[in-house]
Amino acid sequence: MNKILIANRGEIAVRVIRACREMGISPVAVYSECDRAALHVRLADAAYAIGPSAPRESYLRIDRLIDAARRSGADAVHPGYGFLAENEDFASAVRDAGLIFIGPEARVIETMGSKTGARVAAQRAGVPVVPGTETPLAETVSDTQLVGTAAAIGYPLLVKAVAGGGGKGMRTVSDPADLVDAVRAARSEAASAFGDSAVYFERKLSRPRHIEVQLLGDHHGCVMPFVERECSIQRRHQKVLEETPSVAVTPALRSKITSAAAAVARAVGYTNAGTIEFLLDEDGSFYFLEMNTRLQVEHPITELVSGVDLVQAQIRIARGERLSLDPDRILTPAGHAIECRIYAEDADNGFLPSPGRIQALRAPSGPGIRDDSGATAGLDVPIFYDAMISKLVAWAEDRPRAVTRMQRAVAEYLVLGIKTTLPFFSWLLAQPEFREGRFHTAYLDAVLASRAGAPFVSAPASTEEIAAIAAALHAATTTPAASSAASEGAAAGRWKAQARAEALR
Amino acid sequence: MEGPGARGGLTLAQYDIEIGGRVRRVAVARAGSGFAVTVDGRSLHVDAVRVGEHLLSLLVDGASFEAAVAANVADGTTTVTVDGTPVTLSIDGRRRWSRKDDHGGAGGPQRLSAPMPGKVVRVLVAKGEAVRARQPLVVVEAMKMENELRAVRDGVVADVQVREGQSVDAGTLLVVVQS
Repeated sequence: MNKILIANRGEIAVRVIRACREMGISPVAVYSECDRAALHVRLADAAYAIGPSAPRESYLRIDRLIDAARRSGADAVHPGYGFLAENEDFASAVRDAGLIFIGPEARVIETMGSKTGARVAAQRAGVPVVPGTETPLAETVSDTQLVGTAAAIGYPLLVKAVAGGGGKGMRTVSDPADLVDAVRAARSEAASAFGDSAVYFERKLSRPRHIEVQLLGDHHGCVMPFVERECSIQRRHQKVLEETPSVAVTPALRSKITSAAAAVARAVGYTNAGTIEFLLDEDGSFYFLEMNTRLQVEHPITELVSGVDLVQAQIRIARGERLSLDPDRILTPAGHAIECRIYAEDADNGFLPSPGRIQALRAPSGPGIRDDSGATAGLDVPIFYDAMISKLVAWAEDRPRAVTRMQRAVAEYLVLGIKTTLPFFSWLLAQPEFREGRFHTAYLDAVLASRAGAPFVSAPASTEEIAAIAAALHAATTTPAASSAASEGAAAGRWKAQARAEALR
Repeated sequence: MEGPGARGGLTLAQYDIEIGGRVRRVAVARAGSGFAVTVDGRSLHVDAVRVGEHLLSLLVDGASFEAAVAANVADGTTTVTVDGTPVTLSIDGRRRWSRKDDHGGAGGPQRLSAPMPGKVVRVLVAKGEAVRARQPLVVVEAMKMENELRAVRDGVVADVQVREGQSVDAGTLLVVVQS
């Protein structure tokens, strides 16, 4: 394998380029119209235009990606995450073109991509699933049947899209009277988001944690699980902060949950990197939720506590190498790692997207800090894609030190020109519930609702005063005379011009 | 104000700077290699060095601060980020039509406009409907997320300017609510 085409953009394309460089492999980028000057294009050896900015016309165009791969002379394709990473047709098309797809087999992507199919696979492997319907509920199922099926599962329950993800096509129903409307809404959302209106029911646990297990599987029958990741800090079903290990997982539970994850992966003949998600109930019982048949956004925290480069491992597995990892070592966390997903969003304004040009950017660094980013000063954050600009990761010997290190890094991070979720993270990292590890998947939405939009960071009067001084000095030494001093005359204007010229060294 | 002062300084400029409703009068004069800055009559020595286009390193009576100054083109305000804490301020009343003023002021209609380009996926209210503060009015999809735009105060919907499925630019008027 000499040349890899990366069928993605942003920080994950940069991440894969870095792995390629360290392995002596030539990275090839693709880009849409608005991504011409993106960092992944600049860092790659070659770059191919694949169409207009809308994902449907570029990063989701299998034909153009395959064409770019052929023209570039690449012998493999890395899909990253999102876009076509879990699309079995793409995996098949890559292999049909005589190229290596750096991921699992198309049939496994298909099996695990169906939530009901994945639940059946988990049960076959002897792993419990959240009680719910075993087969998709098609449009033809009558309202009476829906009500009967739901009653058998029990309330509160979740109506979920079979093809779902990211909270789309999902509804919580506590009152049986709301069921039929919720099913209708979930179906319509699922149809527009995934092109598949099928839904199923699942019992809603009251205060579960989201715990997931990273796996690697090679082509010689070896599947290895890693230390669990704790991903319960979610806003509207989207992870915003992840950490490893979880404060809620004892070594005994770790042994059980990682064995269960490996059993599911083995049962479907899983190869390459994948992640099995579980819900962990308050009583310590856990249930299979779904499998992600790709590299996860939050893979760096696992890399930091295991010492394994997961992207390089993906490439090695894809070229047929055997995994040579010590299973005990990768199941023993070396320290603690936390990731914050930094978004171009105005956290103080309902997390509205904040696209635009990044005027200045300085990422934190120093001991234990890693910043995986595709953003640079001078770049526009486009409106067409996910608004994540960086994954900030902190590692330390233990959780309290990792939290304070992350606070230090968040304070160092400087992004000008757009609003980001950094102020939100300064707030979150200081919350007693977070610091003490007392949270579950509904914690963040509940506490955000109770705050009713209060600002995450409010400057004390002393900081306001410094801001006022800085603004005054900036204005006095840069702006044209239009600005200020009511008493300003011609002489003063001249003095000001001269003073400005020599004002700031 | 003009000309050499008692300490040999020279007032470069004076500004009224408003932060969250509080106005501070800030006067800037040269003092040696730095500045004498007077904030509401209190004098401070400030050594200021510019680092690139947006950053200032300040030593205020010896205490060190890093301040990033960025103009908000949308509403004429300025955001100064002091050691990671953003402070939004307006200089000499320079604040243009802004969403905060528009929604948050005591009187007059709330004019809800799109904060970013995107697509209207749901219009949740109709003309004549009574709405409560924080009630979602319109859902705009942008950057893969559905964003609920909410009423700031109680009122009655006076006008709905968009329909579902319509693409909107930043600043497009969506809904008017009469208090």
